[in-house]
Amino acid sequence: MTARRGPIMSPGLARLGVIILLLLIWEVGARLYADPLFLCPPSQAVLALGHIFSDPKIVNAIEVTIYEVVVAFAMSVSFGMTIGLIVGLQGFTKKAILPVILLLYAIPQATILPLFILSFGIGPAAKIAFGVSHGIFPVIVTTVAGVQNLRPSLLTAARSMGASRWQVFTSIVFPHMIPSFFTGMRLGMTLVLLGVLLAELYVSTAGIGFYTRLFAESFAPPDLFALISVLAAIAVTLNELCRTAERRFSRWHNG
Amino acid sequence: MKTSSRLAAHLVQLGILVAVLLAWYWATLPGGINHLLLPPPIPVFEGFWVLFTADSIWPDLLVTVREWVTAVILAAVSGCTLGYLISRSNYAVRVFDPLLAGLYSIPAILLFPLYLLFFGLGPGSKIAIGTTIAFFPIVLNTIAGLAYVDKAYVTAAKSMGASDLQLFWSVMLPAAFPVVLTGLRIGCIVAFLSILGGETISSLAGLGHRIVSLAENMETSRMFSNILFAVLMAIVINGIVTFAEARGRRGMQ
Amino acid sequence: MSGAQTAIRVDGVSQAFGAEGDPRRVVALESASLDIARGELLCLIGPSGCGKSSLLNIIGGLASPTTGQVTIDGQVVRGPSPQKVAFVFQENTLFPWRTVIDNVKLGMAFQGVPKSERQERALQSLRAVGLADFCNHYPAQLSGGMKQRVQLARALGLKTEILLMDEPFAALDEQTRMVLGEDLSVLLAQTGKTIVFVTHSLVEAVFLADRVAVLTARPGKLKKLIHVEEGHPRKSNFMTSNKLGTLRNELYELLHEEIRKTMTLRGEAGEGA
Repeated sequence: MTARRGPIMSPGLARLGVIILLLLIWEVGARLYADPLFLCPPSQAVLALGHIFSDPKIVNAIEVTIYEVVVAFAMSVSFGMTIGLIVGLQGFTKKAILPVILLLYAIPQATILPLFILSFGIGPAAKIAFGVSHGIFPVIVTTVAGVQNLRPSLLTAARSMGASRWQVFTSIVFPHMIPSFFTGMRLGMTLVLLGVLLAELYVSTAGIGFYTRLFAESFAPPDLFALISVLAAIAVTLNELCRTAERRFSRWHNG
Repeated sequence: MKTSSRLAAHLVQLGILVAVLLAWYWATLPGGINHLLLPPPIPVFEGFWVLFTADSIWPDLLVTVREWVTAVILAAVSGCTLGYLISRSNYAVRVFDPLLAGLYSIPAILLFPLYLLFFGLGPGSKIAIGTTIAFFPIVLNTIAGLAYVDKAYVTAAKSMGASDLQLFWSVMLPAAFPVVLTGLRIGCIVAFLSILGGETISSLAGLGHRIVSLAENMETSRMFSNILFAVLMAIVINGIVTFAEARGRRGMQ
Repeated sequence: MSGAQTAIRVDGVSQAFGAEGDPRRVVALESASLDIARGELLCLIGPSGCGKSSLLNIIGGLASPTTGQVTIDGQVVRGPSPQKVAFVFQENTLFPWRTVIDNVKLGMAFQGVPKSERQERALQSLRAVGLADFCNHYPAQLSGGMKQRVQLARALGLKTEILLMDEPFAALDEQTRMVLGEDLSVLLAQTGKTIVFVTHSLVEAVFLADRVAVLTARPGKLKKLIHVEEGHPRKSNFMTSNKLGTLRNELYELLHEEIRKTMTLRGEAGEGA
């Protein structure tokens, strides 16, 4: 095919244009048609940001949520990797235990959320626990997968040259599973966010959940939009950090 | 060699299951864990069977299932349609695909309070969140399926004189079908999970609501029975949907 | 071949990728001119990147030349001509979701053959390639050689005057290639089609072709046309004859320096190219 003239705009620019167009439609539509009890134009939501950030209790609730996510993530990654290595390195344990783990992975965790609250109370502990309960699984599964593809010939070669168990681990096993592990980390972050936010929204007597319920029940869409946008921005940032880390570390390893 | 280790693996799994049940039984013997936290296993299992009769789970089950089916249908229709429209132009794919993938990375559960505000505590907000979350894997997979059909097939068909309509029906659609089917499977599953999540956070009826009210009333034993039901239901749905996907793929082969 | 009509005329065809002045511009084909006679089997051979596949695609209307034009039976080629030209591709383009016979029938549906005729024609084509017994199998159940035969059957079912084949046997083992080559020669003798065949194999080119067009390294130019004066169907003793050996050696000499050039070009461009 002879070269066609390229599109007018770069896709990135076009995307920006689409977003701006949608915001405009939202703005105009909300102003003209929406019942202010239920829907508000984005401009009002932006203004409400000021209200959100000026209330120290709300800011504190947001900070606590971030803290919970970070702690749950750290725990998911460390415990997940440990369990993954234990399960994955031994062929037999993998065959026996992995299906159990995958079965647990498939449980609809929303149904046991009330159980977590009953056990841990309504403070950060329950949210962190619920977050770990979500995020640990992809870390385990990807760690196992990362170790799985290791060619036994590499290990034999190393041992034949006199490498100790520890040396084999640090110089062969560990570097080999890094790309897979970072993928697991990225998935883990996504799930930890889901778990922590789910738990926070459930507990409507404190934290973020209190304010989402408050704003919803008092029909204050600007405040609700603003709060949700802040949380969404935090979630996207954390996700992006993990995705960048994943990309950085997979570049070293070609497949 | 292999079958004996597989047998051994299954024995270990069985052993774990038995060990867990025994530990559960032993821990809840008199003097053990508080029954409000961990009820003994036998009443839980008895309570499970009662769900089908006296403690009837059917009305709440019906509510949840209705919400789920509605959400899946809405997500499938909108996702497949939008996915098809976007896939028609390479430029549109380059513009919208990253946009949709980016939106997918926002935890959609955050929208739920907005839906509560907008639709109230009834099924509407659950259908809304289920549809929203199921929409993304469906639309992304539809785009991926249709836009990335192996060029060799398209070239061959065009060289034989296929019209645009023939190309779509006889080449693009069957080629894309397995990928789209996977998207639908994922959509079904995440719709169910997010609807349960929504019911847990705030609702008037449904499986999730039952579990929450039992928790609030400290009826832990009945709650466990209901959780057991919900877990089994999730496993069954997972099985059905995975089976349907495999059948669909084979049918196209 | 003297006295025969020209089926395909290639006139000053060039194929370049990238704009003039762009340092990344690649000229695959430069000013190729060639007349292909009706009923002839012409092989295109040359080193990698010499544009032989590009030329085939241009002849078949799947690509547009940057300069020059191709005429088939006096008409300029502007796009796919399914009534006149059928392709057999190197990679598998059989639709995996349909049976063998449905694949052959679908090709006819695309071309516009009336529904009532398709079944019989499809069976005919499959019989011609010896796969009538497999008509209800799926492509995944067939070996590589069988899949290529089905692709050939699909092309034959279109009853076109011209067959364009782009390294159709490249993915197959040598023994299968030899057998299929002999079968192709038989088919050519029976149907009198005009066939343009791209290959990397020197022996295959000499065994099959009436003429072999040798292309230079990129930018591909027509270096030489070798005539193989031997009737079709080619017998297996032709494969072991001195005549084939001599022609093959001639091809080798012509190609060897072109292939060397390709290697050097790659080396100069550096690993990052």
